[in-house]
Amino acid sequence: MSFLRIHAQPGRTTAWTLSWFLFALGIVLYFYVAQARHRENPDERVMPTIGQMVRGFSDAALKPAEEEEAQASSGSLAARFRGSMLWKDTEASGRRFLISVALLFPAVLLGLHMAMFPVIGAFFLRFILFFDKIVALSLLPILFIAFGIDELSKIMLIVIGVTPTIILDTFNLSKSVPREQIVKGFTLGANDFSITYRIVFKQILPRVLNSIRLNLKAVMLFLFAGEMIASTDGLAYRIALLRRHMGMDTIIPYVLWVALLLFLVDFAMNKINHKLHPWFEAA
Amino acid sequence: MLPYSSKSKKHRLPYGRGSVGALLALVALMGSAPAATPSFTVGWSVYVGWNPYYYMAKSGILRKWADKYGINIRVQRFDYAPSLDAFVAKNIDACAMTNMEALDMPAAAGVDTTAVIVGDYSNGNDAVIVRQNLTLAQIPGKQVMLVEKTVSQYLFERAMAINGLGAQLRQVHYLNTSDSDIASAFLTNPNKPVVVTWKPLVSQILKAKDVKMVFNSSQIPGEILDLLVVRSEVLNRADGSGQKFAKAVTGAWYELLKLMSTPGPGADKVLAGIADASQDSLASYKEQLATTHMFYTPQAALDMASAPDLKKTMDLVRQFCFQHGLLGEKTKSVDDVAVQFPGGAVLGKPERIRLRFSTTYMQLAAQGKL
Repeated sequence: MSFLRIHAQPGRTTAWTLSWFLFALGIVLYFYVAQARHRENPDERVMPTIGQMVRGFSDAALKPAEEEEAQASSGSLAARFRGSMLWKDTEASGRRFLISVALLFPAVLLGLHMAMFPVIGAFFLRFILFFDKIVALSLLPILFIAFGIDELSKIMLIVIGVTPTIILDTFNLSKSVPREQIVKGFTLGANDFSITYRIVFKQILPRVLNSIRLNLKAVMLFLFAGEMIASTDGLAYRIALLRRHMGMDTIIPYVLWVALLLFLVDFAMNKINHKLHPWFEAA
Repeated sequence: MLPYSSKSKKHRLPYGRGSVGALLALVALMGSAPAATPSFTVGWSVYVGWNPYYYMAKSGILRKWADKYGINIRVQRFDYAPSLDAFVAKNIDACAMTNMEALDMPAAAGVDTTAVIVGDYSNGNDAVIVRQNLTLAQIPGKQVMLVEKTVSQYLFERAMAINGLGAQLRQVHYLNTSDSDIASAFLTNPNKPVVVTWKPLVSQILKAKDVKMVFNSSQIPGEILDLLVVRSEVLNRADGSGQKFAKAVTGAWYELLKLMSTPGPGADKVLAGIADASQDSLASYKEQLATTHMFYTPQAALDMASAPDLKKTMDLVRQFCFQHGLLGEKTKSVDDVAVQFPGGAVLGKPERIRLRFSTTYMQLAAQGKL
């Protein structure tokens, strides 16, 4: 029974099979139950079959979005996709997502400065530690007063929800850079800012990027929460509407589409990280 | 140590959490209940017309009726949307819902559904509220906050249609807003001029300055009905336990409604108990009752359910549902989800009856035969 031991060395085929096993199991189980439910009730909506989901998804991806019916019904596949409900929702959610992620970078700088400059640290640290424990979603009415209920409040919900984590993580990472390096830097004539940016920041950046990658899911959760609370477009807006009539044949493909997009963003950030920091192997 | 509290809001995920919970609850229930006594679960959510289910279970009235018929009845509270999910997924046997949702959720999803109790209709509970003395005619082109594709939108579009503004509906911009946040979202955003919602949120919003109600459900009486629906397959169980269930619930319902409507200190005690269901005060619950047309006697409900107006109402509702795609993308004709009325009349294809209004049990209650 050595294949269960620490030093087991599964072959390529074995490893490949094992890694896909749970996917296969999940898919088989789903369709087994779905089939049974469809036999019992031909109008079943809770667990759509693969055919229904494909149709639901292609409708979402290729049919023109509600209002302007006539215009986009012809034309190339790409043109039809750009006029579709799916594209419009993805565009709206994607814009909010990217703005929010971009706003995480100032948070990184704040964390870095808090770690390097004791006065800045003393000013912010306690407050951010406290702020980090606040469950932003329960303070929505206050968010509405401060930021309205349009785009800004959705982005601020994400920012308030995710930036404290990033700030504190950057702070901890910066603090973990050995003190000796900083002393050495000073003896070689570096000033405060070259220590901060050329010694500490450079070292922690790959880890910070990984930390942001880990928080992408949190960003997405807050984005979904925001879009479900009040919205006129976006992926979560659509899912909330479809739920009203059990449009699971579109919801499930939508959820998978979101997963794919998140995976791609994560993958791209990982690649960029490797390109920028070939010396960093920890990922 | 990394702080992770900011990620803890998983409950906003759009999956059928209610269904899973109900499924687990049901499995647990099946495990514990003795096999001999058939068990049934009623799902309800907080609303003036449904809060009595909470008191019915708490006060022991329901137990008395269940014992009389030799069955077990459990009453379970849900949020509204999950209660519909649980009913469609067949995890609960009966559920309190409006006539519109009965049509566009279970019936449209192929779950043959029977309405056994017509409890009340909204007689002002649902309202269109505006700022700065706007009129309905000024709304096109502006943003309207509401929970899209619910009775709120139905009410709003009926309001526009009744006032001859139906053609301008296309210029209205709906802002889909969750009911849990709609009151604060409207009150804190003066640039959003219109909101459509229901009580108690309506009362809360009307307390603000410079807002005015321009339309409410008392102007379309009898169109937003609150029902207790049971899966038809449960009613038709071969051992007759489903009918016993319907009889027991109906009996308990009218016993409680009688207590509610008999004037005197007794009624106040009952009403306060019911108000507890939503952590509400007696005064607030009474205020909500004032704009709810409860059918306190089985005869009143029976009259409503057998009147020809019900057919007209359901036709308006099904047309609304069909036009807004609520009957499903694949439903090509409004007649594919047919509704049957007491006496046998059918709206839609007779071979595709999915929603049935039954007066059987209300009739038995009216005759005192339960």
